[in-house]
Amino acid sequence: MQEDFHYYATYCASYLAGFSHEESLDICYSAQFVDMCSRTFLSRIKAPGLAATTQLQMEMMDTVTDILGIQNITRIWASFHFLPYDLYATKPGTTKRFLNKYRLICAPNGSLVADTVKLSKNKTLQHAGIAMHVLADTWAHSYFAGTPSLAMNNTDSDFYEVIGTGDEKSDRLIKFRHNPSVPDDPEKGLYTNTIYQSDENSIMNLGHGRAGHLPDYSFIRYRYLPSWADYREILKDNPHDYRMAFDQMVYALRYLRGELDDFVTDTYDTEKTGPYRERIGAIIDKRQLLASNDWKSFGEELSGKEIVDFDLFRYQDEYVSADKDKKGETFLGKFINGALEQKGMVSKAIFDSGNILAGFFAPVVMREAK
Amino acid sequence: MTLLQRIKSIIIGAIMIATAIMINVNLEQGYIILLFILAAGLIVAGIGSLYYYLSMGRFIVGGRMFLYRGLILIDIGSFALTLSDVPRIYVLLYLMFIHTFSGIVEILRALESRQYGARSWKLKMSHGIVNLLVVVACFIFRKYPETLVIVYSLGIAYSGVMNIISALRKRSFIYIQ
Repeated sequence: MQEDFHYYATYCASYLAGFSHEESLDICYSAQFVDMCSRTFLSRIKAPGLAATTQLQMEMMDTVTDILGIQNITRIWASFHFLPYDLYATKPGTTKRFLNKYRLICAPNGSLVADTVKLSKNKTLQHAGIAMHVLADTWAHSYFAGTPSLAMNNTDSDFYEVIGTGDEKSDRLIKFRHNPSVPDDPEKGLYTNTIYQSDENSIMNLGHGRAGHLPDYSFIRYRYLPSWADYREILKDNPHDYRMAFDQMVYALRYLRGELDDFVTDTYDTEKTGPYRERIGAIIDKRQLLASNDWKSFGEELSGKEIVDFDLFRYQDEYVSADKDKKGETFLGKFINGALEQKGMVSKAIFDSGNILAGFFAPVVMREAK
Repeated sequence: MTLLQRIKSIIIGAIMIATAIMINVNLEQGYIILLFILAAGLIVAGIGSLYYYLSMGRFIVGGRMFLYRGLILIDIGSFALTLSDVPRIYVLLYLMFIHTFSGIVEILRALESRQYGARSWKLKMSHGIVNLLVVVACFIFRKYPETLVIVYSLGIAYSGVMNIISALRKRSFIYIQ
């Protein structure tokens, strides 16, 4: 997903869930910041690099994909962008090496989504924003894994956009090219993806790179052959998934706000979003590469207040100028704490499942003071 | 990088440098050694491909390609082992292609790293430039058979040095807590 959903749509969901304009801005800023908080950025503000929630392209190209490099990549991408659906999934006849990656495939409504949302309960708005990013991405990034893997993330060239519905439904072959400087062209069915790499652990095989930005576009429906699914075709219905993501965000945020007692997976808010169903559907269905303006207008209509655009450096000075013992109380300090908790929770869950692809978990033993 | 990995990288680097020196000492035998290295490389790549097929490839769409690739690479590698009188120009062309490709990729990565303000771009740039210089050297001295061996041994020595530098670079080992 992109800024349109992580920032503006998250603002709308927060506001509909009952948060104030200011609180909603903090939540959506944190949700979008997950896509910006790289080790390079953290290094610039002298913050712990462990809290990185994304990697710049250059950082990834610099990563050696030995086991330690893969663990670093997986900790970031599985924790924040490709939350694993079932860490104990089985596939008869396969090897442990295959299963370790297969179990990292992302999908909505896994138990880790509930763990993520509950981890944010009674915490800061930054925690809530991080959780909303993770939750929303489980819908957009379904069927891909947050670890470099040809076996999980490669796609066949038989890639079709499903245009229209019902009797007027038709398929159009999607043509991929590899030039990132040329924008995608939905009208002609021309999209950019990463080039095929036969190395299992090539960084080019991370996440949905082989499907280009298709998972990030709310309007598109497409069908393709994922590498891992035994030649079964998958139909990815983004308009449906984005609606579900929005409704689930509102439900989760109502829970975080204290309005609901529990967060249960596969549950969606329709009470608050119902009156706006057509409006939301129109934004999601519109064939455009970025829906920021439409979500922004919708959000401003809801609250009657201006939604300031995302600014990466908005809270930087506050963090840099804070005393060492007060950094945790700054906006970015709270975000960093939330990111570390989320990363630790997911990585530990992966390690506890017998999978070392996200690193080793060393429990901290507190010694009693003598 | 763990201490063990660092030691492994340094040992591999040292072996590469030693091999380069050994090849240069005896240029006549060097060509045979060069062929042996190429053949061994192909066989090792073939075995790697077969291993990938058995552990992962057979469960994925189009995975049988790794089986075929493995068998073909082992076959070509084994065949190359038997050749000591293959026309040297073909080996030269192969080396030029490999070095051109990796040189261009390294330079593009270095430019990108520089654009993002990374400090490591100079090392990448020098790696890319050295690769292209190897190609130029191959082209200029293409009529001299020994040149192929010298150029290739220089490439091996350079990779060995890079391995050692990489092993000595500061890195962190991260434990999740």
